[in-house]
Amino acid sequence: MTVGDAVPRQGLFLRRFRFWRSGGSGRWMLVAGLAVVLLLAIATVAALVAPPPGAFAGSLLERWKAPLEAGYLLGTDQLGRPLLARVLAGMPWSLGIALTAALISVGLGTLAGLAAAWAPGLTRRAILRLVDTVIAFPSLVIAVTVIAVLGRGFWPLALTLGLATWPIAARVVYAEAMSVARRDYVLAAQLAGVGSVTILITHVLPALRPTLLVMLAFTFADMLIAESALSFLGLGVPLTAPSWGNMLSESREYLVEAPWMMLVPAGAIVLAVVALNLVGDGVAAISRRRARDLA
Amino acid sequence: MMGGATDTVLAVEDLRIGFPLADGGVFNAVDGVSLAIARGEILGLVGESGSGKSMLALATMGLVPRPGRVAGGRIEVLGEPVTGAPEKRLRALRGGRIGMVFQDPMTGLNPVRSVGSILAESIRRHQGLDKAAALDRAEAALKAVGIPAPRARLEAYPHQLSGGLRQRVMIALALVNHPAVIVADEPTTALDATIQAQILDLLRTRLSDAGGLLITHDLGVAAEICDRIAVIYHGRLVETGPAAEVLSRPVHPYTAGLIAAAPRFDRARPRLNPIPGQPPGPVAERRGCSFRPRCAHAGEACGVAPALEPVGLSADHRAACWHPLPAAGRRVPA
Amino acid sequence: MTRWRAVGDVLLRRVVELAILLFAISTLLFFLLRLSGDPAAVLAGEEADPETVALIAERYGLDRPLMVQYLQYLASTLLLDFGESLRGGLPAIWMVLDRLGSTLLLSFLALATTIAIAVPLGAWLGMRPDAAERKVVNGGVYIMQGIPGYIVGLILIQIFVVELRWLTSIGITSWTSWILPALTLASFLVPKMVRVLAANVSEALREDYIRTARACGATEREILWRHAVPNALLGATALIGTQFAFLMSGSLVTEWIFSWPGFGALLIESVDRLDFPVVQAAVFVIAFLVFAVNAVTDVAFRLIDPRLREQRS
Repeated sequence: MTVGDAVPRQGLFLRRFRFWRSGGSGRWMLVAGLAVVLLLAIATVAALVAPPPGAFAGSLLERWKAPLEAGYLLGTDQLGRPLLARVLAGMPWSLGIALTAALISVGLGTLAGLAAAWAPGLTRRAILRLVDTVIAFPSLVIAVTVIAVLGRGFWPLALTLGLATWPIAARVVYAEAMSVARRDYVLAAQLAGVGSVTILITHVLPALRPTLLVMLAFTFADMLIAESALSFLGLGVPLTAPSWGNMLSESREYLVEAPWMMLVPAGAIVLAVVALNLVGDGVAAISRRRARDLA
Repeated sequence: MMGGATDTVLAVEDLRIGFPLADGGVFNAVDGVSLAIARGEILGLVGESGSGKSMLALATMGLVPRPGRVAGGRIEVLGEPVTGAPEKRLRALRGGRIGMVFQDPMTGLNPVRSVGSILAESIRRHQGLDKAAALDRAEAALKAVGIPAPRARLEAYPHQLSGGLRQRVMIALALVNHPAVIVADEPTTALDATIQAQILDLLRTRLSDAGGLLITHDLGVAAEICDRIAVIYHGRLVETGPAAEVLSRPVHPYTAGLIAAAPRFDRARPRLNPIPGQPPGPVAERRGCSFRPRCAHAGEACGVAPALEPVGLSADHRAACWHPLPAAGRRVPA
Repeated sequence: MTRWRAVGDVLLRRVVELAILLFAISTLLFFLLRLSGDPAAVLAGEEADPETVALIAERYGLDRPLMVQYLQYLASTLLLDFGESLRGGLPAIWMVLDRLGSTLLLSFLALATTIAIAVPLGAWLGMRPDAAERKVVNGGVYIMQGIPGYIVGLILIQIFVVELRWLTSIGITSWTSWILPALTLASFLVPKMVRVLAANVSEALREDYIRTARACGATEREILWRHAVPNALLGATALIGTQFAFLMSGSLVTEWIFSWPGFGALLIESVDRLDFPVVQAAVFVIAFLVFAVNAVTDVAFRLIDPRLREQRS
């Protein structure tokens, strides 16, 4: 029987609820996630430096080999191209676009959030209003519409996704900046006459570091999902590029003959996303624990 | 049946409530407490925080929170055992035969339910009435605790009521099924002083035909409405007896210390006389009298824990002490 | 009395905001179109020759001064005239509205499915978050949150259409056609809802009023469903409002996968074919929907939570 014991209540709605109560487990989440992310990073760089040969041209004789058959670790697709090679070749595309978009999104969002936190009433309200409006709008719809204008490709896609999602980061940064701004050392600096921009850079920004890291991890994951969704819809990277979304799109026709064509890129996406989520949650748990211990 | 008294509504015998410690031992938050409350009588259980008084209160309803558990002894309500009773039976007792008033009225009521619906739920559960009849009873209960415009108040939500009103609602909730025992755990601590007096008064009138267990750390509160007082320290009773007598002729040094420590504002230069030291924390093993480190009268014998013994004043005035304060005629230092 | 007045105020504000918003979006679309080069060329399509382009320019008034064009555009937007589709020539707005029904119905079904799955699961998880089996399920939910909804759709198709052959995956053929798309769309929302609900339930169970309910003899089931869950749901209703936008995004992909006759799929096709009138019409309608839903949930929230009823805005 459980009557409320003296466990402190979690008053705020956390974006990703930390369901393991102790913060200690944050460490292994972070480690597990980072390990996978690091592996992916290495693989991406490898793919950039030395693109796996089989990724673009294959022999029709080898089409639709199941995984582990005839020496193909992950099987082959309808053109006989090894899926492992394609997944690796797709990394610079999928992960590259996702990371770039995440950087743009968090970067813009931070600027906007800080601006809103520091600006006087009317400007602040205007920014917040803009942020709330864009957030309420379906991001995929925004992305799709902008792509109609900008066209396909690495940079259009990264830009589009970044533009569609910056308000999310803005809102978080704004909230955090506001709470940091209330802290004593910031007020002291203001009273001492230190310029606003200096305060922002030397005091506020460092305090936001954990939040920004967490945001980056989660946004990276979201951008990966978004990019693959757009590519899947045929609106993303050029159709010849082996991005994971494109691979998924191609796999639709051959679900009967070769279901692994769908499962392999799907697995890659899920692996990357879960790893990034773990990193984000891990950092969040650790910084929360640290804050609680200090308080 | 224990207790022996003609109309015992609540009987606690040698109760022990244990909590596991980090190193594997068990700390008895309540360590061998016995008491009995008769109908129409209010017993005040007085102690500091951590003395185990709240645990005892929760145990009367079988609500000791995990990881604590009743490790020994018995509790009986109207002769029916609470300790070891099946959950189903306990649920029938809670709110029915025994009602509880908690400390904080601000958080004790469900914010998304109206006062009437909270009351009606308990009424329907224990009295089996239909909705309309239950609401009538609820209205009567609100009236009985002195809430003005009770019918309209039924639809009110907790946040619309002041702290004093909310506590009255909590009392109404405890009383509505005419329980034989009311347990009130610090019912006035969270309220303003003026409201406190009203609530205590209310409790005194409403408890006239039931037995009451009033948990408090405040001797003044106990003095107001209790017929008998039991002083608890570190999980054990150190003194019990008629309220007036315990307060005017304390026998145990701790009780005397508590009384002396109460700030007095009727003197030109009020001085505070705290009891030196701190109460002991959770330990697996007790050695002798728990109050020994802070007691000015401690001696060799105190290495063995004393039992509650009559002290030679009224029949049921007892203390657990090897060096009780000289009782006859002794007044508390002014 | 005060309750309805407060609600009316909020509603009015929302309507005004919606109007301003639609105006802003229309303007944005207008200028966005002109960004992509010669609008006439874009509208005419890629293969058109210069004469067709000139004809289009005249037809749409694209050879007139920008300000005039803008005002004309605004005027026609007010009348919900977005021009005709470049494929087939039907009025764009009709094409969108025609397909609105299927999308909304699907969204509604998905939302119902989400609630049906998330509430019991969330309540169960929130009850004893430390128990072993709950931790395992929590892990499962965590991973599910990492699986994009459309992949769930593809997997469902793989299982139920390809392997088991129980269902079809193309369009609406019978009532069973709604099952997989609704499940897929629901999977966009379920993991997050479950986690939020579990958190809320777990927190609610630690509140003092639960102890009061216990002291009145309530059973564990009553405590969970009559006391904890209503409080937990309160926090979650706000989530539903914001999740509607997410639902719209999910609809795009879901309708695409299942060849669903909804306007999400229409939007995708139109973007692919650069059929701008339809794109404009679709975006406009989506904007209206999203903000209308937000306004409604905002109002509903105020009505449901007794603590908010008295407050203004």
